[in-house]
Amino acid sequence: MLDRRLTAIARPARAGLYVAIGLGLAGGLLVILQALLLARIVNGAVFRHGPVPAGLLLALFVLFVLRAALTFLSEIAAHHAAASVKTELRRALMKRIVELGPAYTVGEGSADLATTLTDGVEALEPYLARYLPQMALVALVPLAILATLFPIDWMSGLVLAVSGPLIPLFMVFVGHQAEAINQRQWRQLLAMSAHMLDAIQGITTLKLFGRARDEIALIARISDDYRRTTMASLRVAFLTSAVLEFFASLAIALVAVIFGARLLHGHANFFAAFLVLLLVPEFFLPLRNLATHYHARMSALAAAQRIFEVLDAPVAQVSGIAIPPKGAVTILCRALEAGHEPGRTVLRGLDCEFPAGLATAIVGRSGAGKSSLAAAIVGFIAPSAGTILIDGVPLSVLDREAWWRQLAYVPQAPRTFAGTVAENLRLARPEADEASLREACRRALLLDVIDSLPQGLSTRLGEGGIGLSGGEIQRLALARAFLKDAPLLILDEATAHLDLETEALVAEAIADLARGRTAILIAHRLATVRRADRIVVMEDGRVAEYGTHEALVACGGAYAALLRGAAAPTETPCVR
Amino acid sequence: MRALIRLLRLYGPYRAWIASGLLLALATILANFGLLALAGWFLATAGLVGLGGYAAQNAFNFFTPAAGVRFFATVRVLGRYAGRIVDHEAALRQLARLRVFLFEKLEPLAPAALAAERSGDLLSRLVADIDRLGDVYLRVLAPFAVAVAAALAMAGTLAIFVPLAGLALLAGLALAGLAVPAASLALGARASREVVTTRNELRADAVDAIQGLAELLTYNAAPAVAARIGDANDRLIAREARLAAIAGLGAGAGQLIANATMGAALLIGLELAGAHHLPGADVPLLTLGALAAFEAVAPLPQAFQLLGGMAESARRVFAIADRAPPVREPKRSPARPQHLDIALSGVRLRYAPEAPWALDGLTLTIREGEHVTILGRSGAGKTSFINLLLRFVEYEEGSASLGGVELRAIRGDDVRSLFSVVSQRTQLFAGSIRDNLRIARPDADDASLWRALETAALSEFVRARSRGLDSPVGEGAARLSGGEARRLALARAALRDAPFLVLDEPTEGLDPLTEAALRGDLGRLAAGRTVISITHRLAFIAPNDRIVVLDSGRVAEDGTFAVLRTDGRIVPRLARLQEDLARI
Repeated sequence: MLDRRLTAIARPARAGLYVAIGLGLAGGLLVILQALLLARIVNGAVFRHGPVPAGLLLALFVLFVLRAALTFLSEIAAHHAAASVKTELRRALMKRIVELGPAYTVGEGSADLATTLTDGVEALEPYLARYLPQMALVALVPLAILATLFPIDWMSGLVLAVSGPLIPLFMVFVGHQAEAINQRQWRQLLAMSAHMLDAIQGITTLKLFGRARDEIALIARISDDYRRTTMASLRVAFLTSAVLEFFASLAIALVAVIFGARLLHGHANFFAAFLVLLLVPEFFLPLRNLATHYHARMSALAAAQRIFEVLDAPVAQVSGIAIPPKGAVTILCRALEAGHEPGRTVLRGLDCEFPAGLATAIVGRSGAGKSSLAAAIVGFIAPSAGTILIDGVPLSVLDREAWWRQLAYVPQAPRTFAGTVAENLRLARPEADEASLREACRRALLLDVIDSLPQGLSTRLGEGGIGLSGGEIQRLALARAFLKDAPLLILDEATAHLDLETEALVAEAIADLARGRTAILIAHRLATVRRADRIVVMEDGRVAEYGTHEALVACGGAYAALLRGAAAPTETPCVR
Repeated sequence: MRALIRLLRLYGPYRAWIASGLLLALATILANFGLLALAGWFLATAGLVGLGGYAAQNAFNFFTPAAGVRFFATVRVLGRYAGRIVDHEAALRQLARLRVFLFEKLEPLAPAALAAERSGDLLSRLVADIDRLGDVYLRVLAPFAVAVAAALAMAGTLAIFVPLAGLALLAGLALAGLAVPAASLALGARASREVVTTRNELRADAVDAIQGLAELLTYNAAPAVAARIGDANDRLIAREARLAAIAGLGAGAGQLIANATMGAALLIGLELAGAHHLPGADVPLLTLGALAAFEAVAPLPQAFQLLGGMAESARRVFAIADRAPPVREPKRSPARPQHLDIALSGVRLRYAPEAPWALDGLTLTIREGEHVTILGRSGAGKTSFINLLLRFVEYEEGSASLGGVELRAIRGDDVRSLFSVVSQRTQLFAGSIRDNLRIARPDADDASLWRALETAALSEFVRARSRGLDSPVGEGAARLSGGEARRLALARAALRDAPFLVLDEPTEGLDPLTEAALRGDLGRLAAGRTVISITHRLAFIAPNDRIVVLDSGRVAEDGTFAVLRTDGRIVPRLARLQEDLARI
């Protein structure tokens, strides 16, 4: 099943594969030609038919050169066939990941997806470039050899014709067993890696408890278990190749002994005998090559499974085409139900208003649905029921990209991207000049940090560059939002504890950023909430309370309880 | 390269395995050579004898060469199978040993000397790099050793018949096995380096794009990033194409050399046979022997390819293994002192010779039984102070003593046995609740486990689970909530029952409600112990608690909260900020 689909994705590379197969087949035919020539020359020498015609020798050397050229070309053809598939798959995967959006990538694990995109696709190369062409050659080259041998000596042709097909049969039989053992070994490897990671991450804890020495003994035991399982799978794998070896050697020995007896009694000629001897190893060669590439198929299948899972994941959110309203908008949520995974609604009939030009803080315990609400308004998750209205227009009909142009979104754990500080900032506004970049940094209270960097705005961040601290990254994200200057701000305040000083800087920059926009702030700090114009208290996917700080404190409900760090009273009298 | 040679020394205990593996591999290759050469000679001779009539036929010893052919065929099959099994057994045993070797080296380094390493990177050294080193023997050393021995033996055999043919074979094998792979390696060196960098770029771009997808989408930058990934892919493919071309050249050249050597052997045979200096039946022997000999050098191009990556892996492994442990341990510790006061005076320490001082003249006394809160911004020296007490890092100047005994004179394990540490980073291991508790005391009975759980207010939760103490906590404690995981760490500390309790932000990252409840339970654990808690916040501090504010590795303020709050310089400012930024 998977095999078939894997072959289907090789379709764009079909021409390249045919070329590779054609070159391989041509190489096989030249081998036969070479054997015929060689047998003739050697036959002449053994039986002293006089000097070998120079033409024959010349032809032999021409064949050598031609075969070398074919080897070179088929290597290139195989690479090209695989390259086009890899490019196409990476493009399709990236496109699908973008369509699926952050709601999907968070659940799937970004490291795993990145590995699929790079190494997963790479793992298909040996399958496409080696295994697939070899599959065809396994059928074609031995047939050509049989066709050559039968007219010359039917008896040895028969030996090969019988022993040839036995091998793949036996290999399939052993292969099934090997697959099970392979999987067991794979699980064992994962278990070992997991244990090692556990031990590495916990090495300090182990030392604190004086238990690190015991762990070393445990690692020795686990490594040894891994060796045992690996050997079990290798023994089976080696058995497969031993079978091949057995048939190839047996065929040579058989041909030699039988022919020897026949030659001795003058029932055969040396030319035929020598030709058969030359061609027997070539008969088994494609099979041996296939066997060496067999594991390529295994790893390709594993990689392909993951690739197809991503490509087949259903896209929940489809973009509309309507142009969103401009300027500061009022956002209205009506009976909203949504969740990150189908069947698990987090928002359960939420009604809420975010008035134009005002900052609204959302507070509530973890799991209350704050982040889901933000994700729904940004458009990363599609509501299963209810609507979100933007100045009266349903969000679902809006063109997604145009909607995103209207808003700035600052997630809880923002990222820096590989590139300079300036490039990171210009994500928000590609055409921004340096003065605007500096101004954005100034307002995000980041300018001092930037000026202290070795190359200022041109300093490289991330891989191979310098790292910023958590508080600096948060302010960089705020600077991006300042630069974008969008009428709507959706911000998920970081929960990570920073220095009190740094935290104060971030809080101040957030307050400045929210001013004069429709701002939706998922708040974890009292400072942020107190500065907000309205407060939404969420509980269990619904709005529990709504109002200003003073009003909510005065009324002594869930919000007041949150501030005290106590459990909410069972009655919440403060709705609207 | 030097790293690879060091690696060789670690193979010592497996000498017998390795020697038998090499012999078997050699036998396999020689058997193939013998099989084809003998078969060629045998057929030619039988053909000649067949023409010679009955007398010649009866005089011809048919059975010896026929038995030889069967013998070589059998040796080949069995030798290949047994040889590979022995080889892999040796390599895998060596691997297991290397893993333990590296982990043993890691242990004294943690945590101070490993602070810069990410655990993922260490894991890949411990698993992937060591796996690759296992291949050093299998795919590089063994093939080289076998190829050299086999080449000499086979060329020598041909030389017995025709010296010149032996010489030609040796030259051909050297060209195909050494010169061509070395040349393709040199040609491809830049391309393969570039392939590695480009692949890393592609991976970094992909991680960026996927982890930052929310931001990239809302900045409408996703198409640009997708295009960037496309570009990285195209660059990667272009470089892989160059490598494929070089590999193709190498393969073609290798094949040409093998065939040309066979051609040369044939020509030499023809020449000599034509002049009647050589029996005609030796011509097929020379030809087939020369052709079969090249099996010995077939794995060498790949071995050359792998060498660079292996040297890099060896370097990465030894880079960790050679790191000097941050603390030198005394042979044995003095007797446990009468009291357990901590006294530091003018302590200076740093993590590298050129690095700035992390503790810069720290002078501080903590009496047995005291409860002290160490306060300070990040980088003020709070963690270094704890690392100093736990003997994770060496101090260069000043004096640090525990119960009047200089810390340097006590073994690290003995110092640490006096401490229970609860922090946000306390690791829970994949295993059961019982396993995790018993890390603190391997011989603890169930009653003590339950008492410890009681102290951490976790006993009800564990009792409610169907498997009780045997309930798995999952990888990374995934089956526990954040609060439950901290409580389990707390229970572990309670079970340990050490005179010192170090609390390193044990409630960081928890929601305020859980935090408040956990703080309450910490009180039970703190009773009767010397407690040092380090924090950068002022929450959960009672007016009479002693506070020590660290700044730039020194004590900036020291006194009770009540006093410092009014008279201090730093504490009042922090208190104001704390109030403003209170979490909800």
